[in-house]
This record gives sequence, structure tokens and C-alpha cells, in this order.
Amino acid sequence: MHVIDMGHDVYKANDKVAEKNKKKLDKYQVFSVNVMGAIGSGKTTLIEEAIRQLKDKYKIAVIAGDVVAEMDSSRFRKLDVPTIPINTGKECHLDAKLVEKALDEIDLSNTDLLIIENVGNLICPVDFKLGEHLRVVIVSVTEGDDIILKHPMIFKTSDLAVINKVDIAHAVDVDAEKMRDDILSLKPNVPVILTSKHDWESLETWISFIELGVKEAQNR
Amino acid sequence: MHELSIACEIFEQVMSTAKEHGATEVKHVTLQMGRLSHTNPEQLSFCFNVLADESIAKDADLIVEMIPPSLECECGYKGAVDEKKIRENCEFESELLAYAAVMECPVCGKPAQLTGGRELIIKSIEIETENQD
Ligand SMILES: [Zn+2]
Repeated sequence: MHVIDMGHDVYKANDKVAEKNKKKLDKYQVFSVNVMGAIGSGKTTLIEEAIRQLKDKYKIAVIAGDVVAEMDSSRFRKLDVPTIPINTGKECHLDAKLVEKALDEIDLSNTDLLIIENVGNLICPVDFKLGEHLRVVIVSVTEGDDIILKHPMIFKTSDLAVINKVDIAHAVDVDAEKMRDDILSLKPNVPVILTSKHDWESLETWISFIELGVKEAQNR
Repeated sequence: MHELSIACEIFEQVMSTAKEHGATEVKHVTLQMGRLSHTNPEQLSFCFNVLADESIAKDADLIVEMIPPSLECECGYKGAVDEKKIRENCEFESELLAYAAVMECPVCGKPAQLTGGRELIIKSIEIETENQD
């Protein structure tokens, strides 16, 4: 019997590909956003709003991760932006290798903003970096106000947290401010945005946050 | 649940290393898993065994060693989280939550940087080869 030392770190192997993706995006001055959140949190709707408002100013591409269907990618295509669907099959998250492949299909020299919609899930995407510049977690009040402390790691590793559907918080008996406090207790100083698709001002805050990143990438 | 994709990665790495060393059988695979990684050892073993069926690793045992979280603080502290505090927090429904709640520096109490506890490492494999020496 022989013992062979390997020391192969599975997550680090993913991180290495993610680093490569990021370098490629940097080369073309593309700002990339990884949007994570549960099914039904409103990821697709918030992304659609951002595309509508920004697509005349910037060239946008989307990678839409889905377990099987192509529902979300067809919603983005309707907005007339290049969209690459990634069907993960049984998998619950995107990984850096899948994104690496998708990047080959995008004309990066003609892209300012790349939005990656991750598979709907608050657990698995946490362990996999994709090469993104901004990690966003979207959570809706309908998921209940204990949802944050039940999924600490996604909030700890995100650069921006969005609490969505706050207009119906009262109806589902949830305190959006408590959700904000929970997020800040896990990650002090992380920007937290409260949004509702019926409140234009809140959407503007969300969109301007992304635009800020695009501008910074272009001045790099 | 992403045990299947992880198991695939482990299986591929194990098989290529085993082949490189002329293995006829893989007996053990030792993994190191951070307590904060979102992976379940039993599910991982199950997926690995399904993948390894009909390979030289079909009878391989997956041994999982857990790695506790570690912290680094701006005050200079480098080391483990406060295990005593974790035991006090045992009303939390999951170990993950208990750890997440105590990621402050045990020395100065400030929120500290997590430096370990999320890894998943294929540490070593034990193999049989044709010519035993
Ligand atoms: Zn300290």
C-alpha cells in the first residue's frame, strides 16, 4: 500500500479559474456582477430593470444560469441584449468553469457590463467565485425575516445586499428593518438596499449602484 | 446540494493521480473539509461511490477530516475562533450558524477576517500497485 500526498483544494481550483475570468474581464474593462438569491426573490425582475435603464448608455451582456429551463434568458433576450443561457442540469450553482466557457461566446470588446444571474439558491453559490467584480445577494421579505440568519455565509461573502418586495412586508408580517439589522450584524458596513418594483426611487438606487461599478471599470 | 459536482472533481483528480502512480486499486481517499464549507460528508461519500462504481476506486473509503474555522484580526490575532463561545451558542440549529455568530476576535472582540474553515482538500490517497515493494 502506498500513500500519495495530493493537497488538491477543490475550491482553490475553482478560484484559480475565477481569477483567470476576472483578468480577462479586466482586460476588456468589463464590469461583472454575480447576482445570487433564492428562487422567487426577484433576481430576474431587478436585473431586467437595470438593463432597461442602462442599455442605452452601456453595452450589456447577460449570463443566465438555470437548472433546466430557458425562461429567464428569454426574458433578457426580449430586452435585446446578448444572453448566454447556462443550463446546469442537476447543479445548484454556477462555477468558474461554466462561466469561462460562456465568456467565449460573448463579444467582450463590445461589452461594458456583464450581469450573471446565478441559480436560485442561497447556499451553493457561496463556495464558488466566478470572476465577478461585485457579488450581490437578493432576498425578498416573502422569505421570512429569519432567512438571513439561516444563511449567514452568503451575506458574509457578498459586497451588496438587496432586500426586495418591501412594499408587501406588512402583508407577510415581516419587518424589513430587522432584516437589514441582521445583515449588518453578519457583515457590518455592507451596503444594504431596500427595493420594490413599485417604488421607482428604490430601483434607481439599485441601478445607480451598478452604474457606479461600470464607470469605475471604464476609468481603470 | 453541490456534492455531485464536487464528487466529480474529486473522482477525476483521484483517478488521474492513481493512474500516474500505476495503481491497481484505490483503498482510501482522505479529504480535509472546512466546517464552514457547504458540503455534507455523507452525501459526498454517496456521490463519490456512485461515480467510482466500475473503477479501481469502487471500494475506496472516503475519510473526511474536519478543519475548524480560523480568524485573523487587525489587532494581530491569528488563530481559532472561540470554541467556548460556540458551545454557549449551542441553541443555534446548525453548527454553521454557531460559527457564523462568533466570528469576532477572541482577544479584542472586533469582527475578524475568516482565514480558514471553508476549504475542501483532497489530502492523500492510499493505493495498491502491481509490484509491491
Ligand atoms: Zn482582535
